[in-house]
Order: sequence, then structure tokens, then C-alpha cells
Amino acid sequence: MMRITGGRVYDPANGIDGAVKELRIDDHGRFVDAIEGGRTIDATGMIVFPGGVDVHTHVAGGAINFARAMTPEDHRRTQAFIRTKNRRSGLGGMAPTTFATGYLYAGMGWTTVNEAAVPVLSARHTHEELGDIPIVDKSTLALMANNEILLDQLEAGEYERARSVVAWYIWAAKAYGVKAVNPGGVAAWKWGHDAKQLTSPISGYDTLTPGRIITQLARICDDLGLPHPMHLHCNNLGAPGNIATTLDTLRHLEGSRAHIAHSQYHAYGGDGWDSIRSASRQLADYFNAHPGLTTDAGAVLFGDTVTITADGPWQHLLYKLTGRKWGNLDVENETGCGIVPYTYRPSNLVNAVQWATGLELLLLIRDPFQAFLSTDHPNGGCFWRYPEIIKLLMCADFRNECMAKLPEAIRRRIVLPEIDREYTLYEIAASMSAGPARALGLSKKGNLGIGCDADLVIYDADDDAARMFSRPRYVIKGGEIVIEDGEIRETPQGREFLVRPPCDPDIDAFMRPLFEDRYTMSFENYPVEIERIEHADVRPCAPAP
Amino acid sequence: MGGKVTCTLGEVKQKADFIVYWGGNPAECHPRHFTKYTIMRKSKFLPNGRKDRTMVLVDIRETKSAKAADVFLQVRPGKDFELLTILRALIKDQPVDNDRIPETGLTRDVLDDLIRRMKAAKFGCMFFGMGLSMTCGKHMNSAALLTLVAELNAFTKFVAMPMRGHGNVTGADVIMRWQTGYPFGITFNRGYPRYNPGEFSTVDVLVRGDCDAAFIIGADPGGTMPQPAIDHLKRIPTIVLDPHITFTSRLARVHITTAPQGIAAPGTAYRMDELPLPLKPALKSPYPTDEDVVRRINAALDAKPFWLPEDGRPRMLTAQV
Ligand SMILES: [Zn+2]
Repeated sequence: MMRITGGRVYDPANGIDGAVKELRIDDHGRFVDAIEGGRTIDATGMIVFPGGVDVHTHVAGGAINFARAMTPEDHRRTQAFIRTKNRRSGLGGMAPTTFATGYLYAGMGWTTVNEAAVPVLSARHTHEELGDIPIVDKSTLALMANNEILLDQLEAGEYERARSVVAWYIWAAKAYGVKAVNPGGVAAWKWGHDAKQLTSPISGYDTLTPGRIITQLARICDDLGLPHPMHLHCNNLGAPGNIATTLDTLRHLEGSRAHIAHSQYHAYGGDGWDSIRSASRQLADYFNAHPGLTTDAGAVLFGDTVTITADGPWQHLLYKLTGRKWGNLDVENETGCGIVPYTYRPSNLVNAVQWATGLELLLLIRDPFQAFLSTDHPNGGCFWRYPEIIKLLMCADFRNECMAKLPEAIRRRIVLPEIDREYTLYEIAASMSAGPARALGLSKKGNLGIGCDADLVIYDADDDAARMFSRPRYVIKGGEIVIEDGEIRETPQGREFLVRPPCDPDIDAFMRPLFEDRYTMSFENYPVEIERIEHADVRPCAPAP
Repeated sequence: MGGKVTCTLGEVKQKADFIVYWGGNPAECHPRHFTKYTIMRKSKFLPNGRKDRTMVLVDIRETKSAKAADVFLQVRPGKDFELLTILRALIKDQPVDNDRIPETGLTRDVLDDLIRRMKAAKFGCMFFGMGLSMTCGKHMNSAALLTLVAELNAFTKFVAMPMRGHGNVTGADVIMRWQTGYPFGITFNRGYPRYNPGEFSTVDVLVRGDCDAAFIIGADPGGTMPQPAIDHLKRIPTIVLDPHITFTSRLARVHITTAPQGIAAPGTAYRMDELPLPLKPALKSPYPTDEDVVRRINAALDAKPFWLPEDGRPRMLTAQV
């Protein structure tokens, strides 16, 4: 039991904006009305936030582990966690090791993370890694938009069957929701092609188009009643002029729920690398006119990183542009993934446009319950650099200072110099916690109300937002103090959220022969057993009647 | 590891119309490879199986696998790297001096034909075996092959895959990577993982006599390592977990008999393409599993006083290169 007194509380889920309020936590790690006894934390003069929620990150599984193998030189100039009595050793850097991932997220005040790209075929691996990420709660999204068994059903117009196939895969993966990456484009990549037009049939199919995959899969997620809508990485990522594809995609989604991943990478104008410019205004206008739609920024920070995505064709292009190492792993029947180390340089016009576009989207989309803090870790920058982005959002002077270091030619290509909005603490709390929790459908997260999980972070007030957000005074997870004064106190094992959507009871009989034809693993061995998930928490679905 | 362009075996089974085995003898070493994954397989995209697929074998000698191949290229021993480098130039139409070709044991016509076939493929896959990765030039050879395959993607779809040996070597490699960032050759002697194959690899540590105890699971170094390493294992307290009597168990101070993995102990094995497969035991064993034993040892260690300094703060590594 614990009470936190005297702190200024920012709890956007309950409309609380800096009021001094006492919080009480019971022995089950929940906020309650009243308690008897227990420890008291005097937070007078401090700032209290709900624990951060990362709606889109890549921290576990075959792809990030491939990236670790490709970047041994990075591990040698990075943060080292030394083994202590209550902490395992590990390394930070561009692709942190599992134990370090938990320590780094918690150390910054984040208590829930959503691993956004899991091939069902290797979900067992992803869950084993997640079991080695301490402190934070976790959820996963299964990659579906290039699954050939599903695409065959969609091409044949078998909607009901397709819906059951998706439900079957989600439960086989022990996932929490559905991720769609470059719908149809990754399947086409298996032949060395891409899918850039939403209305053209994709390679290997007669009539099926990316547009159709998008609308059908979004509808399936809604009909299954998944707590989180379809999580979409649009076609044509990273390409100059891709704003047309992105807006077209959004029009395909009218009438459905959707979360648009890393929208920075999908908001460019121009018609080539020489003329690329930000199209953030057009995209932000769309979001401002469609309040149900959510997105995360996928913001870019200058410096070294490693890019990993299921978008194989994009990674091949990046490899050709950079001439650096290239890793590619196509996963049978389901998806692919590519890995390319990358350095974002302020002197590079394309990178400078990307840097500005991410910030512009966060600043131009008015409602922080719609636009969330993310770097698409590690693609735009590492998650442990989030405090830098918070400072850029909260301080226009600091933005201008950073902009002054960019090439003069950038000014005609971006709108950032015209924006003077500064995020308030309330808006930061919404964008880093309450908003993403709501979008994920995790009703007990990102919320300091009675009955919710007691995940919170307490900061010493500091004029330098980057310093304040990188060194919380306390981080409390499930009612337990895990970080105090920058020290890791406890490393509890978090929960993993997943769903079991309703599905046709005959689906096994339907899947088996198709499976045996396509895959190289036995049908019985494919689904991850629920016993393999550490602290599984199965969340309810609300299927359409 | 540098870059690598690869896929899971199911992609090859479904789509590869052009298959190269380089420095391997699948007919004898991986007898089910042809029928399960490659040339003999029929699929939605290759309905005629063998007729729809082309197989090339590159090796220093004509093994049984050559009979299965459409094209056999006998490369001169130790000239794999030169051949791969010439191929990298030829695919990009860069000039190659005709005098450089004979030393590989092949002719210009044969190489031009190979290039033409590779570029005409819809989906090519190169498997490379011990014959390439373990001969002189070792990782330089594999790196050259991986680069050739990456570059072929400018023309058509191409992937590469190593033909690994047996056991769960891949699994150990995968887990060490997620826990420490490195696959093997790791030391924790400063309290955090450091990597330097050649210095911290087991064989080097043993030959130098740097360790004062050894704990061995799922391996039999006593049967494969050089004599100085074996001598050191005999000198120090060596503890072995193994279901069987092995060279190492004979020289060990302590041998704990454990249940055999996959047969009587559950777990996960990682296949050569890094796919995780569950092990579902069919039998019961009177012996504990490796995992049980390690957990019990850990619990006993936890009861002892902690031996590392309590300075918990992470620090930046800048001094190292
Ligand atoms: Zn992503």
C-alpha cells in the first residue's frame, strides 16, 4: 500500500491538468479511494504522470535480433548495464539487449510497450524474448496483410472465411492485434516487386489490390471486436510524393477504425529525392477532420540507428541508396523483414525533411489523443531518446535553435518554422500515455483513476524538459517502486496482453491442408501454447453482433 | 556478421526455380533436403516440381550430389573467393580479364551461362555448406557469397542460406544474441557482456588456461578440441550435464546425467533458418532436465553472499574500440 501526496497530477484520461491530488494504491497494485497505513511518498513540488505507453516499437523477435547480430560494433560504444544483485547485465545502444530494454524503458518512466510486428511463424521466439524483458507490460501485433492464405481468401471474396483465418492466426500467435505492413507489397517482394498503387492487382494475384486488402482487413478487425483497430503501415513508405498514397489509403478506411503507424514516413510531397518536401499539413488536416483516427509520429532524430521493418522492398531501396549492410529475411507464406544500419544527418536534405515532418505532424494534429510520441524504434531513432522529442515539442526556442543548424535550402521544404505551438505537460501526458493506452484499448493503462493499474512516474520539476523526462525521481509499476533516483530498485516480471477472437469451429480442418502445403513446420507445432507466455492476460473482444 | 539476404525454407519450397548448392553435398549430408524443400518439391508456383527447377552444384569434387544437378561447376580447391569475386563483376557487366578465369578451374563460357541463368531466374536461392565456410578464406568466402546474392537482387529475387550442422547451435546463438547482443565468444568478467572471438571463445580460453572451472551443457569439447584445451579441462573442476557418457564426461570431475532434450525434456530448438520449433517430449525420464539442474544451481548460488560490487549505475563505454 502506498500514498503519493502533494504532487501536481497530469491525468488526461480524467481531464486532470496539474491539480494537486493524493493518489492511493492498494496491495493489488491498483488505484483505490482509501487505504490504511502503508508508505507515503511526499511529491510536493513534483509532477505526477501516468506511466508511458509505447504504441509502436520493435523490441523483441527475429528482426531486432537479426539487427543485434548485424551491429556488434555499436555494442562497443554504448551503455553497459553491470550485473548487480537484482539486475541482469546487458547493453543499450541501437538495438538494446532484452534485459537492458526493460531497464531503459522503465528508467525513463515507460511501463507498457507494444511490439508492433510479429510474424506468426516465429511468434514463439518473440514471446521468449519478451519473457526476458523485465518490468514493463507488453503486447504484440501479428503481421497479416501479406499472408498468402489470407490473401487467397480475400481474392476469392470469402469474407467470413477470411475473418476466421485472421482470428485463427491471432490466437496461434498469442497476439493482441493485427499489424498490416505495406499490404500486398511484401507478398510482391517475394518476387522482387512492390505494390505502390492501391488499385493495381498485386504480383501473384489476378484481381486482389492493396486497397481491397486494407478495407477488408480493417473491417475484419472491427467485426472481431479487437481492442486495438488495424495497425497500418501504409504502402509506399519513405518515397517522395507518397502523401497521395497515404491520403488515398485513409479514404479507403472511412467507416472503419484504424491506427496509422509512423505517419512521418508517409507524409512527403515532391516527385523525387531532389524535390522531396514535407506534406505534413495535408495529412494533419485529414486527422483534424477525422477525430476517430489515431497515429504515432515515427519521428526521426539525427544520429546513428538501425532500420528494421517488414517492408522488404523499402529496405532494398535503402540498401541501394546507402551502400551499407543489408539484412533481409522473407518468412514463408506470411511476411518479410529487412534491416539496414542508417545515419540521419542534419546536412542531408532528405533527413532534415524527415526530422521536421515528424515534429510537424505532432504539432499540427491538434488533439494529443490522436497523435502519439514514437520513433518507430529503432527506425527513426532509439526509444531512449524520447525525452529529446518531448523537449522539441515543449520548447519552440529549442526547435528554432535546432533548425538554425540545418541547410538554408530546407526552409522552402518544411512548415516547422511557421509553427509556434508548444506542448503543455497535459498534452505530453496525453501523447505519451493516455492517448496510446486508449488507442490500444488498454483501459487500465495511461489512467490514474480508481481501479486502474498503478503505473505512474514522478518527476522533479525542471525547466529543461529533456533532463526532466530522462531522469524520473520515481517510477512505480503495479504499485511497486521500480526506479528511485535513477536506481533500479525492483525488476518485477510484467504481464503480456493477448486476445482470443471468436472463430469458426471448423477452421482447423480448413487450415490444415493449406498449411501443410505452404509451411515447413508441422501444423500441431505451429500455434504458441498459452503456457509459454509469462503472465498472460487474455483481454476480451467485443465482436459485432 | 555483415549483411545477409535470406528467407525461411518454406519460401524456397514454394518459389525457388533456381537453386545453387555451393560447397555442400546435400545428397549425402542432408538427404531429405531435395524432397522436403528444394528440387523435387511441387508447389502452387512450380507445379511440375523437378522440371520447373534448375539446380547448380559448385564443389571441388564430383560428389553424389553432382548427379542430381543440372549444372556441375568443379571449382579448383581454395579458389571459391576468386570465383565469387569474378561473378560479382560479371553480373554488373564489369570487365574481367580472361586470364583470371582459368585459375578457378572454369571457363568464360561456363560462367557466362551461369550469369545468364541466374539473371533469368524468378527466385534464386544459394545454399552454402561447410565446404565454403570452413575452407581457407572462411568468413571471407561466406561474406563474398552473401554480397553476390545481395547484389543479384538488382536483377531478380535472390536469397542465401547456410547449411548448418545438427543440434541446437542456432538456438544458443539466438538466445545469446538477445541477452548479450553477441552470438558467442562472450566474457562477463567485467560484469557486462564483451565479445571477442579468438580471445573469449571457449577454445581460446581453455588453451590459454584462463578459466578455473568449466560448466558444459549439450556439447562434447573433449572429443573435438585441441589437446591443450582438453588438458586444461582435466586440470580444473569440470562439470558436465549430458544424458550420455562422452569424452568430456569421462574427464570431468562431476557428470550429472540429464534427460535427453526433445525426447524426454521439453524446450525450443531453432532450425538453421532460425525458426523456433517446440520440442514435445514423447518419453518420461528418471533424470532431471538440464533446465532443472541449472535452476537448482542458480537457487543455491542465490543463497550465497553476492560477489559483485553494488555500484549499479549503467555507464557509457567509450574507451573501447
Ligand atoms: Zn515499425
